[in-house]
Amino acid sequence: MHEALPLAAATSAPRRDRLGLAMLASHVLAALLVIACLVFAFIARRADDVFYLRLATEALIFAGLALSVDILLGYTGLLSLGQALYFGLGAYTSALALRSGISFAPTMAIVLAVSLAVSLAGGVIVNRVRGVYFALITFGMAQVIAKVVYNTRELGASDGLIGVPIVPIHLGLVSTSSASPVGFFLFTLAFMMLIYLIVAYFLDTPFGRILIALKANERRVPFLGYRPFTARLVAYVLAGVTAALAGALYPMLRGFVSPELLSFTTSGNAVITVITGGAGTLVGAIYGSLLLTALRSFVGSWTTHHLMVIGVLFMAVVVLFPKGLVGFVRITLEHLLEGRR
Amino acid sequence: MLDYLQFVLAPQMVTGLSFGVAVVLVALGLTIIFGLLDVINMSHGEFYAVGAYLALSLGGLGVSFWLLLVLVPALMIPIGFAVERGLIQRVFNSPDRHVSTLLLTFGLGIVLEDLLSLTYGPNTQRPPTPIRGAVEIFGIMLPNYRVFLIVFGLLIVAAVALVVYRTRLGAMVRAAAYDRNMAGSLGVPVKTVFAGAFAFGIALAGLAGVLLAPIYSVFPTMGRDFILLAFTVVIVGGMGSIIGAVVAGLGLTQLQAISSLYISPVWSDPIVFGILVLVLMLRPQGLFGRLGRA
Repeated sequence: MHEALPLAAATSAPRRDRLGLAMLASHVLAALLVIACLVFAFIARRADDVFYLRLATEALIFAGLALSVDILLGYTGLLSLGQALYFGLGAYTSALALRSGISFAPTMAIVLAVSLAVSLAGGVIVNRVRGVYFALITFGMAQVIAKVVYNTRELGASDGLIGVPIVPIHLGLVSTSSASPVGFFLFTLAFMMLIYLIVAYFLDTPFGRILIALKANERRVPFLGYRPFTARLVAYVLAGVTAALAGALYPMLRGFVSPELLSFTTSGNAVITVITGGAGTLVGAIYGSLLLTALRSFVGSWTTHHLMVIGVLFMAVVVLFPKGLVGFVRITLEHLLEGRR
Repeated sequence: MLDYLQFVLAPQMVTGLSFGVAVVLVALGLTIIFGLLDVINMSHGEFYAVGAYLALSLGGLGVSFWLLLVLVPALMIPIGFAVERGLIQRVFNSPDRHVSTLLLTFGLGIVLEDLLSLTYGPNTQRPPTPIRGAVEIFGIMLPNYRVFLIVFGLLIVAAVALVVYRTRLGAMVRAAAYDRNMAGSLGVPVKTVFAGAFAFGIALAGLAGVLLAPIYSVFPTMGRDFILLAFTVVIVGGMGSIIGAVVAGLGLTQLQAISSLYISPVWSDPIVFGILVLVLMLRPQGLFGRLGRA
């Protein structure tokens, strides 16, 4: 990829441009989220709660999947209806590794390597097409893998894999375990924020601007000297690895994996999360996941028909707030940040 | 060898054919909606389920099966019209129409499915078979209802093709699919044609629901598995192609039916979706051209 002077000049300029400002606003919202999560963890610890901590941890894990959908949809303009493929890949790989007695850090390294290889191969397949065909090919590919896993006895078939052991996690000075509700919640929070920052860093570089350019007008990008295929492939791999790393935490939390993780329902939920939270905001994926999990839990406490509520909310967002909830808030925040300078 | 043909292969192929005809009806609606409106209707499977449930409750009230074949599609048309006008038109002019209409109909599908399970409960129900008995053709025993389904379904498909390719109405539809602005300036009521085509597609899905309910039972998530196959048919045949939907629909269901004799039927889904991925990779436009282009 060649260096484009105007882009490089724009990012190194002391004053941030619109996109840089938007990213800064996302970081402010992410910081607020971290504070809220820390307060929540403190209260939950005092109240000796396990249920809500576990639920919030799960919401953060699925936020990673939503984040991966946002890299593709919000930045590159590619709607993936099969991102659960990589989430499930991470979950199954991690479950298999942990069950065979491998410890935490090597397990994550294995997941990283496997998901890198698989998403590279998958990316070459799905990036042959774009637009609505991209949505359908990602969907088809995820369905093939989901059905194969569902039929493979070595992978637990329809029952999934159970009996994933408790994992101790050592991080230099502190150590925790997947069995500790508060410890694992805080670890997941830190892990997801790290992924968020890495992804945000990537998307704020000139490379990220190429992805945004692809979303705006793909035909012009080659005339600027970039190869759309390479850029889309890198975005796809970044998204795949993000989803897999998030998925790797799932068996540590729940102690099992099931083919449900690979299903279209999981992919569809991630898309709902991103659209509700705000596509193209990154942090919207995390807010969306926490919000929808809370809503599901709240509505689910008095009716089993929470899907209807979520479906209506989702449709309302698509029609009335196409920027999503965070997209809606972020514009106001951008004006505030701009005025302060 | 002849016994194998008579008692194993042929009945399996006829069963596959009756299923295939129903798949073609659903795929036909899907492909017309895509060819004309450029909308991927993710709620199509749920409308198929709505048709089946309408047949179930009206049948329970004592309405005869023959009347249902007319009544249910007739009830689906105003529903489809309202959905197109009230929901899809709202995001139709957004910059990324494919994505926003896909998301909107996806949400609608979730709501409809939950609405069905709220109204009728999550359990499987089954209306009585309207035509009993079996007939012997060339020494092959065929249930009467399946024979009826095949003949009736193929007649409907032929009628649709006739309307689209041989009538003034069909010419307007094809013109609107080819170039909506030009068609509009020549006096085609494009908005009405769009809403009408959407409603018609929904009605076909509903009709397939009525026809398949006595064979495959009725349950709230019935649309979900079915629609995946219908999508595959539409893509393999070429999105927006009527002949493509027929060829791919009958071909893929035969493949499923015959392959399940030799390998475990649980592998028929991966095979079908594998074909979907292969076609998208090698020939994303599908086997046949779009509506209005041929």
